[in-house]
Amino acid sequence: MITVENVLKEFQITKKESGLKGTIKSLFKKEITIKKAVNDISFQIEEGEIVGYIGANGAGKSTTIKMMTGILVPTSGKITVNGLVPYENRQKNAQQIGVVFGQRTQLWWNLPLSETYQLLKEIYNVSDEDYNRRMEFFNQILELEGFMNNTVRTLSLGQRMRADLAASLLHNPKILFLDEPTIGLDIVVKEKVLKAIKEINEEFQTTVILTTHDMSDIEELCDRMIIIDEGKKVYDGSIEKIKGRYGYMRRVEIDVKNSEGLNSINIEENFNLKEEDLISWIEENRLHVKFNRKKINISEIVAYVMSKLEVIDITIKETNIEEIIKRIYNKEEV
Amino acid sequence: MRLKRYLHLYKKFASQHLKSLMQSKVDFFLGLIGFFLMQAGGVAFLYLVFQQIPDLNGWTFNELLFIYGFAQLPRGLDHLIADMIWRVANPMIVNGDFDRYLVRPINPLFQVIATRFQVDAFGELIVGLGLVIMALFRMEVRLTLMYFILFPLLVVSGTVIYTSIKLFCASLAFWMKNSFPILHLVYSLSDYAKYPLGIYINPIRLILSFIIPFAFAAFIPASYLIGKESLLIGVGGTVVFAALSFSIAYRVWSKGISIYESAGS
Ligand SMILES: Nc1ncnc2c1ncn2[C@@H]1O[C@H](COP(=O)(O)OP(=O)(O)OP(=O)(O)O)[C@@H](O)[C@H]1O
Ligand SMILES: [Mg+2]
Repeated sequence: MITVENVLKEFQITKKESGLKGTIKSLFKKEITIKKAVNDISFQIEEGEIVGYIGANGAGKSTTIKMMTGILVPTSGKITVNGLVPYENRQKNAQQIGVVFGQRTQLWWNLPLSETYQLLKEIYNVSDEDYNRRMEFFNQILELEGFMNNTVRTLSLGQRMRADLAASLLHNPKILFLDEPTIGLDIVVKEKVLKAIKEINEEFQTTVILTTHDMSDIEELCDRMIIIDEGKKVYDGSIEKIKGRYGYMRRVEIDVKNSEGLNSINIEENFNLKEEDLISWIEENRLHVKFNRKKINISEIVAYVMSKLEVIDITIKETNIEEIIKRIYNKEEV
Repeated sequence: MRLKRYLHLYKKFASQHLKSLMQSKVDFFLGLIGFFLMQAGGVAFLYLVFQQIPDLNGWTFNELLFIYGFAQLPRGLDHLIADMIWRVANPMIVNGDFDRYLVRPINPLFQVIATRFQVDAFGELIVGLGLVIMALFRMEVRLTLMYFILFPLLVVSGTVIYTSIKLFCASLAFWMKNSFPILHLVYSLSDYAKYPLGIYINPIRLILSFIIPFAFAAFIPASYLIGKESLLIGVGGTVVFAALSFSIAYRVWSKGISIYESAGS
């Protein structure tokens, strides 16, 4: 559905010193630095996939999305979206994709929302029948009715995001690009948005690529994620796999009956491991232990604690994907 | 087929825009009044000049009135239809708002233009038309069928020249981020084209005719219409310059889109 081959995008940044002196100086000698926002990235996405495209601030996510939607032309490399080169065949490509930039609305600022949809209906040549059916569907899952007649300018962030999502889907695109579709949303609205994406994907086999800084979005929606860092791809695969590869840290929470007793045990001393492989802390009557499962077995820890104290509950925590990502961003040896 | 679809879309865009305009009626009428006042000032100026120099370079007052009035028409039409191009110069490109036009399945230039029309322009159009009719009446020009064909043709060609010059300058924003100062400077040259070129020194004449061809959007076709210019230059020249300007401007615009950088957010 989408192929990205060795794509590079450079931005020329002219450095300007501040003040009048700097301005005059820059007239004669321009200092140009080249920023590689996307640096030799390749991947392939199949029809019906939902792929999370993630990376730290400034990693190059939006730049990649903009190239796939035809807004930017790559400096080198090649992209095809459902057989079309987006930046060479913009208008045709636009008919088969839907785009939402969470940071910026695509709607007409001064029009009532309902009129905006009317215009989009004309632009995308949607038949009355399709239009009515789809609007009804969006109303159901995104609950647009309450603000359908409000001017776009007056919508709250959450309302606007739902409105933008519906707008991007009005022509039933084959591919949906979502750049931070959940930014700034409260938990209820976010659930609605995620559910809508999921339903669209299941119902129409729509291919979805989304960027987000919220890992729970990814865990809820995506089977696959691509992680980029400073313009380079550092991971491409399933969430399960990355957990297997990087996620050897585990956490266990042990609740004991008598909280004073917790001070009498010392796990670190008992097992004598490095701090990064085993660490514990106390929170009221709960003992948290974070450990490297390659170095120590969970049963050893639990057995040790049970031998000393009266345990009432044990919870084993899955590796938090966020922690893994953080390690990659920080270039920690993993 | 394609044209029909675009006309249909334009109608939709325009009616939506009109609706949102009507929400602020005050702005609408203030804009109109402002323009009438400005236009009235222009005519008064012409009249005063004539009181001092009755025979301006061999042109009668009525002829000057006609040229001045005619010049308002392409300018007014461009103003009415293509005012959004100013926004391309600044801030549409520098702040990345241009993105949206590239992800919709219709021509980006069409979208920019169709986004709004500037009703202030009715001031120019009404004054222009009024002056033209008055001058024609006073000069007792014989109006043939040909006149009714060529007049609109020349107005439309002139409009294309105006829009093309604006488009060219605005497109420079793809390179410079903000081309508003250049566009403003170049556009203000159009003020010179509503008077006879003969009153200017040669370099200005050359610039207005061949480099920034506002003369072909005002003085030259207008002089043809009052029998002071040949068919070849008055009509041929105007149409050729319109086609040429547009093809150059559109090429620069397209090239600009291919290097568009959006904004970092
Ligand atoms: N139009 C531009 N001109 C110059 N530099 C740019 C431009 N757009 C992006 N950049 C730079 O390219 C890099 C990648 O930016 P991009 O917007 O793709 O990051 P991102 O991954 O979307 O980040 P975020 O999570 O903050 O949205 C950044 O260093 C940014 O400063
Ligand atoms: Mg971004």
